[in-house]
Formats: sequence, C-alpha cells, structure tokens
Amino acid sequence: MSVEDILAAESELTHLLGGQQAVVLSTRIRLARNLEGLPFPGWAKLPQRKETSDRCVVALEGLPKFRRGHVVRMGELGDRDRAVLVERHLVSKELAAGKSGAAVISRDQTCSVMVNEEDHLRIQVVKAGWHLRGTWHIAEQLDDALGGVLKMAFSDRLGYLTACPTNVGTGLRASAMVHLPGLCLAGHMDKVTRALNQDGLAVRGWLGEGTEAAGNVFQISNQQTLGLSEDAILRHLGGWIKHVVEQEWNARRRLAQEEGEKFVDRLARSLGVLRSARLLTSSEAMNMLSHLRLACDLGCLPEERRHLVDRLMIEGQPAHVQARAGQELDSDGRDRRRAAVVREALKDFPEVVPPTA
Amino acid sequence: MSKPIQCSLCEEAATVHLSQVVHGKVTKVHLCEACAQKGGATDPAVFQLADALAAATPAPSLTCPQCGFTDLDLRKRGRLGCPACWETFGEALDGLLLKVQHEAAHVGRAPAGVVPVAQLRRRLDAARLEMTAAVTGEDFEAAARLRDEIAALERQLAS
Repeated sequence: MSVEDILAAESELTHLLGGQQAVVLSTRIRLARNLEGLPFPGWAKLPQRKETSDRCVVALEGLPKFRRGHVVRMGELGDRDRAVLVERHLVSKELAAGKSGAAVISRDQTCSVMVNEEDHLRIQVVKAGWHLRGTWHIAEQLDDALGGVLKMAFSDRLGYLTACPTNVGTGLRASAMVHLPGLCLAGHMDKVTRALNQDGLAVRGWLGEGTEAAGNVFQISNQQTLGLSEDAILRHLGGWIKHVVEQEWNARRRLAQEEGEKFVDRLARSLGVLRSARLLTSSEAMNMLSHLRLACDLGCLPEERRHLVDRLMIEGQPAHVQARAGQELDSDGRDRRRAAVVREALKDFPEVVPPTA
Repeated sequence: MSKPIQCSLCEEAATVHLSQVVHGKVTKVHLCEACAQKGGATDPAVFQLADALAAATPAPSLTCPQCGFTDLDLRKRGRLGCPACWETFGEALDGLLLKVQHEAAHVGRAPAGVVPVAQLRRRLDAARLEMTAAVTGEDFEAAARLRDEIAALERQLAS
C-alpha cells in the first residue's frame, strides 16, 4: 500500500535529507496550472474530472522526477491515510476531502503534484530549511517538463488561467514555514502579522489555510500572483523572511538575556514533561516540542538533535500516531500512544543547559 | 448585535419569516412588510413561496459558451468554470482583479513555445519611454542597454 510506503520512507522533511536550519523549517513553491479545453475541477462533471485525472497522472508518471514515486487516488484511500498525507503536507485538506483527486509524489517526497484540487494541477516542491532559489528552480524545471507534454491554459494578457482569480497570472505561491517562539513569547506576533499582511504577504498556521498556529509554527506566503514576475515575487518574500528571521533572533536573545534562568527553566520543564508524560495531546506536544527546537537552536541542547524534534512534530500528528499504531484510536488512546512515542524518542536526550553566548 | 435579516426581494429589513417544504426540502424566505403584502404572504392560501423565490432570483445575463457557467455562478462561487470563462467574463473580472491582485496584466513566465506578445509589447513601450528619459538625463550607459533591449524585443515580436 502506497501510504504505508510513504510513511516508512526517509523523506525530505522527516529525515533532513536537505539539511536544516534554525527558524525556517521548510521552503515551499506551488504552481497552479490547468489544461486547455477542460472545465476546472469544481465545475467539471465526473467523466470530465476522470479525463483530467487520467491525462495528468499518465503525463506525470512519465516524468523522470516521479520515477519509482507514488500515485495516490483519494477515492481509494481511507480517512486515516488521507489525513496522513495532509499532515505530511503532501496533499491539501481540500484534495483529501474529495473523491476524484489524486496526487503523484516523488520518491524523496520533495515534489508532489495534486490533480483535481481547485485547479487541474497543483505542482508543489518542498525543501527542508531555507532554499528559495533552489526550490524554485526544481519547480520551474517540473513546470517546463509538464508543459512539454500537456497543453496548459494560458492567456497572453492574464498568464496562466486558474479557477480562482487569486491565483491567475504566475499561479505561484511561494512560502516559508517558520518557527517563531521568540516573537510569540515576546508577544510581538500580532504586530509582525499585521506588517506582513500590509505588504501583501499572508500568515497562516501549520497546515495552511484556515488552520491554527500550533507550536509557534507559521506559514508565510505571497498573495499577489498577477502583475509581478516570478522573480519579483520571490525577491519580495525572500526580503521579508530574512527580516523576520532577524527579528526572531533578536527576540530570542532578548528573552534569554532578560529572563536568564527562568528562560532555561521553561525549556528544561518542557523536556521534563515530554520525557515523562503518560498522556500528551497534539497541541501540548507541539508547544513543548517548539521549546525543544528553540533549545537546540540556542545550544541549550545539541544542535544535531533538532531534526529529531522536527520529525516528532510531524509524527505526533493524530493520523500519524494512529497509522504507526496500525489501528484507529480514540482521543485518549492517541494521547497515550503519542506520549509513548515521544518518551521513547527522547529517552537519551541530554539535559538542557544555559545558552551558549 | 447581529445584523437584521434582509428581505429576499428588496433591501428592507425582513419582518415576515416563512418556511415551506418544496419537493421535500425546507426552504426559508424572509420578507419585509411591503413585499409580504404584495406577494400575498399574509394569506397562506394565495401565497406561493416558489413564485416569490423565482422573482427574487434574477436570470443570468452572461453564459460561457464553452462550459455553461453563468455570471450568477461566478457571483455565488467566486471561482470560474473553465479557462474560456476568463474570456467570457473578461470585462466583469477586471474590476475584481484590480481589487484582489492590484494589477490586471500578467508579467512572468509563459509555456515553452508561446510568445507572450502583449507582455512583450508592454515592455517595449515602457523601454522606449525609459530610453527617452535616459537620453534626456544623459545616462548613456542606461540608454545603450535599453537600446539593445528594444532591438531584442522588436526582433522577438517580428518573429
């Protein structure tokens, strides 16, 4: 079964194949594309959606990037498997909610193309850490390769045509997943969000549109897709992310300096709870893992342990916990199981020490 | 406080609230005094909810020849039906695009083999203006660069 393979594989986001950094967890590029002459999925009849899906999946499977990759059809998956794909950011909630969507995923899980989401094709590329240009370059190549085998709906005046006016033009959504515990603890997140919104950037929670920011993790992305070149969109986002990262470091340093022992105590307590709790809710785990990640960034815990924290953030999500257990679990069962997984993973973690410099 | 419910037929506040089962589905209608009187809603024997609703639903004025999507669908969904809808509803969408995108023209990549003529023309016009300004300002380095760009754009457009 494909989703089990996806879970078992070492992937970009869970096993740091792409290298990882403090603050920016991952960089993501999304391109919206549609086939000429076919209605958009939201308006298409079932046979038309099937035609779209067949044509797109065949074209994608033929690309070298997806050799030995995965094809998952939403109609053939159970609720839990679909939720696992959402938690891994391989498909969106919207795609998982329908029956006629599919996704083609590369072997290393850096590239995934959703078919029959809001648009016929949603090309997504993700890299661990902050690699805006590199991630864009892969998406561009994928777009060119796909454009070579499928005729895309394109207008001279409006660019790539999409179902929603908010995506028309470049169809490009570039985003960074950022971990901002410093700005959150200092109470500056509202101000930062407002500044980003005012300059045309959206700030969302962990799982994208309409989700809450668990574990101080936010997704920052461009909103405008028309009237700006891809290069201008990337430069605009890149400039802001650099600024946000600087602000986050300032906030962390100030907290560590002003709170001193209290600050270290807070991080140490989180490790203590995670290492001995018998029941852990998903949001509690996320918030305490956020402290652990912060501790790794500041040298309070060894930096090389950070990738394990990142993996636990993904694998502590409800569907992942159940998939690992191989069975459906009620809320208490999930909390018990999550606590056990986290305890096991952290059992040989060293103690939290005061920050280095 | 929540906003008062609007009359289904006009913009007045609704004071008459009716529920009717039509084809096994509960349909609700909210009317103001005047519309309720006019439609005979105060006399249940005469009043037909379906008629009132039909009167409240305007007929579509624009339909996409490719996929049958109408301007009413567009208003309801905020999405389009197919790529050709962008042509069908072109003018109606320009205002919306300026609101959500602040721009109404594409600047960026095109599929391989497609020459984005309109985009090149826009750039050509802008480059000519920039060159005049550069010459006036005696910035000959910039002027030379723009002259080369203009020549390249003209070649591309001629091909």
